[in-house]
Amino acid sequence: MAKTILTVDDSGSLRQMVAFSLKAAGYDVVQAVDGQDGLNRAKEKTVDLVLTDQNMPVMDGLTLITNLRNLASYQKVPILMLTTESSDEMKAKGKAAGANGWLVKPFDPKRLIEVVQKVIGA
Amino acid sequence: MKTLPIEELRELLAAVSRNGNWHLLEIETDLQQTTFLLNEAIEKLSASFMNVYAQLTEQQAVIQSLADTGKLHLDLVQQLQVYQDNIGQEVNKVVTGMQFQDMTNQLLQRTINRVNGLKTLLDELSSHQFPMAAENEHEEIRDFIMQLNQNFDQGSAYLTGHLRKSVNQQDLATGDIDLF
Repeated sequence: MAKTILTVDDSGSLRQMVAFSLKAAGYDVVQAVDGQDGLNRAKEKTVDLVLTDQNMPVMDGLTLITNLRNLASYQKVPILMLTTESSDEMKAKGKAAGANGWLVKPFDPKRLIEVVQKVIGA
Repeated sequence: MKTLPIEELRELLAAVSRNGNWHLLEIETDLQQTTFLLNEAIEKLSASFMNVYAQLTEQQAVIQSLADTGKLHLDLVQQLQVYQDNIGQEVNKVVTGMQFQDMTNQLLQRTINRVNGLKTLLDELSSHQFPMAAENEHEEIRDFIMQLNQNFDQGSAYLTGHLRKSVNQQDLATGDIDLF
């Protein structure tokens, strides 16, 4: 059974590219348009990995991670940030909030899949 | 020392504010239009790219079935594999390149927000209605300009604080990956 990845980004084109890359590698993908939407979808179904942007309306990525880590079902689910933010300060905040990794946009699909496979397997 | 009458100064600043606001509104309109056109273009390009990829995948399945049943010579199968690998590499480049829209969109939005902030700052120039004592005009103008300057500084600091730059990429080279 294919593993499910929740991808959260307010950019439609970015979500489309992420979903395209993950589906081509055999993963099921759930998409959310901001942190709040991501939190709602995460509650509906526990996914195997969360891949989230940082700067989004309504709820940003760091707040989403904090909220997810407060849910019993998401204590150990890997969460990766995929964002334009590249400063050490933001990465440190992400790590403190509970992120397991930080990917700076733009992503290379091949490298993205390698990281995802490393984190949750094929 | 001769100074400008305060009412004339107010009229002058209001005219600067009006003209500045008009130009900023034009800039904002152009930026909104650019954002809209960019989004439309990327949406269409993405849809076409997905369709091309879907057709290629179908085509590949047909070729594979021909190869599996021995209807293609081995050298042709090898040549087709080279084509398929090349297509895969180009697809990856397209996926990377399409992400420029996300970054430029963020930069455009930041510029629009700054333009709106500048419009608010310019409004300061025309919004002051200090009481004026005719016998103390010089002091009134000094107080007026000091207050204006202070409000400008506060507005500018607020704008800077709320417009942190989140996109520092200078090209489309793929970003770093850190696993914690």
